[in-house]
Amino acid sequence: MTTCTRCETALEDGDLRCAICALPVPAAARASDGKQIAQVLRCGDCGAAVAFSAAAQAPRCGFCGATMAIEQPVDPIEAAQLRLPFSVDRDTAEAALRGWLARRGWFAPRALSSEAVLESLTPLSWAAWLVNAEALVTWAADSDAGANRSAWAPHAGQVSLGFRNIVVPASRGLRAAEARLLIPYYELGHVVGVDRALGDGEVASTIESFDAQRSAARKYVQDAIEATAKVRVEPQIPGRRYRNVHVACLLERQTTDRIVLPAWVLAYRYRGNPYRAIVHGQRSEVVFGKSPIDWSKVGTLVAIALLIAALVALAIILR
Amino acid sequence: MAGTSTDARARAGVTFACGHCGASLEFVGVRTETCPYCASPNFVERPPGANQPHPELVVAFTGDAQVARHQLDRWLGSRTWFADARIKRARVEDLRGVYVPAYLYSAVAHTDYTASIGEHYTETETYETTDAEGKKKTETRSVTRTEYRPLAGHHVGYVTDVIVSASAGLANAELAAIEPYDFLALRRYSPAVVTGWIAEEFSRDPDDCRRASRNEAIDEVGLWLRRFMPGDSHSDLAWRTTVQWESLDPILVPVWVLAVRYRDDRSPLRVVINGQTGAIAGKVPLAWWKVTLAIIVAALVIAAVIFAISQHGGQPG
Repeated sequence: MTTCTRCETALEDGDLRCAICALPVPAAARASDGKQIAQVLRCGDCGAAVAFSAAAQAPRCGFCGATMAIEQPVDPIEAAQLRLPFSVDRDTAEAALRGWLARRGWFAPRALSSEAVLESLTPLSWAAWLVNAEALVTWAADSDAGANRSAWAPHAGQVSLGFRNIVVPASRGLRAAEARLLIPYYELGHVVGVDRALGDGEVASTIESFDAQRSAARKYVQDAIEATAKVRVEPQIPGRRYRNVHVACLLERQTTDRIVLPAWVLAYRYRGNPYRAIVHGQRSEVVFGKSPIDWSKVGTLVAIALLIAALVALAIILR
Repeated sequence: MAGTSTDARARAGVTFACGHCGASLEFVGVRTETCPYCASPNFVERPPGANQPHPELVVAFTGDAQVARHQLDRWLGSRTWFADARIKRARVEDLRGVYVPAYLYSAVAHTDYTASIGEHYTETETYETTDAEGKKKTETRSVTRTEYRPLAGHHVGYVTDVIVSASAGLANAELAAIEPYDFLALRRYSPAVVTGWIAEEFSRDPDDCRRASRNEAIDEVGLWLRRFMPGDSHSDLAWRTTVQWESLDPILVPVWVLAVRYRDDRSPLRVVINGQTGAIAGKVPLAWWKVTLAIIVAALVIAAVIFAISQHGGQPG
């Protein structure tokens, strides 16, 4: 495997620059598979000279209109290498949804749990990157250690940290906020190869393709690792209380695996309106989603609040 | 033999040097009689420069001249009425797409910094005031003060995506005005990408470009540090950055140039458009006859209003 000479991150076919430090990858290193890359200057159909068409993003012959494929820059289609099997089956997922609907609180319609119609219950293996990296992390923060007249004093430091199995969503099917709610509950020790045959009773799922491009992933990965680093440097900060924690990471030796993670996506309908909920594919108690609100209850509550406010105002005026 | 020679020229392009602005441009499959940067006709064919850096990467144009013209019209529409009409009258064919040479710089930046960090605290203070009856009395109030504490630390990061112009025709400040480019759409350089477009030769010394890039990188570190500081405020921020693992790679970036030359002794009226994002920069000169006309009209209106008021004020009520 070729690695970046600057940060030792593993380079992949199609990389023009390192995904972490942006060092351009020499052409020779990229052609490691021995493929010849053609430089097209003449139309293959009619032999005329060609010009690059900005509209077609390819050389186009001005005479016969044919376009020619040139070396595509980045982002070959990514495919999952690993998958995390479902341990929540269909019946358990449906029961988890019913239980969640029954616990939606006072503002939910009373008949929600009994009248909600389950329209679809789809096992989805959603796409994510599984990132490992080393990093030199520099930090700055305020803490109560050494505080003087103010309750806060500034501190700074640095620490080398290893980041293991950081999950970075690459999903179209799930929103980023939904993925963030699911990620902390996955047992990544149970990962298997994506091609491994399903066991008896194992849930067959739709395996999502990678929507976000790898070249765009650099920012997601950086953000995810910085968010993790902010938590990981907390023990380094002196004192008992802290605020304004800022980190800067110099990532090295990053490796990335493509993984798909299990979730049940439920679509249900209540009195004609569609709603969606997600049940974790390994922990059925992790359920979240949208549910209807009984606006008559909200109206009643607002009316009561207004009545109380009016009575208080009246009492104040009369006193 | 003649056929071979023509074929070689078509493949390599024809290089022209502008006697006015100094740009060296390679024309691959296009023809022009004036310099696209300064519209000078002092434009002579010459052999390609020796030891030219070979571009490694290229950002391709994303639209044709019609799209650029539309962007220019929209931009001009948002300019003042006083703008010189020669820019507005420019034709689509006056817009030339040029692959501008630049260097793409990245490095590892290690920075030692010192700063004075302001931490707010609240104090109760007493003050004297005078009541409605004129009596003095003492009251208390809460005020926020700032305690400054010194902080010294280290900051690390990769500085990436810094580009500096290596063009004789387009200064770095002009290129900076239409940045950024989206480097997610970067391509490996291939003659096929620039065929049919004008590509300028690398004119600036790589060492000069490296120094300029390094300065931009250090400025960027300064922006990072301002966001990195803790506390409620900070002052006296000073830093020393050491860059390591610098890389400086020749790259071509797409720029639409509209140059209108109206006097040989003056700089051309010039507008530049980012050939990828459509960002536009340019200094549109004012048409002074319009300014003068507007001042005269305004003066006449004011005089008329003053006259009307004085006439009306002179009538007995």
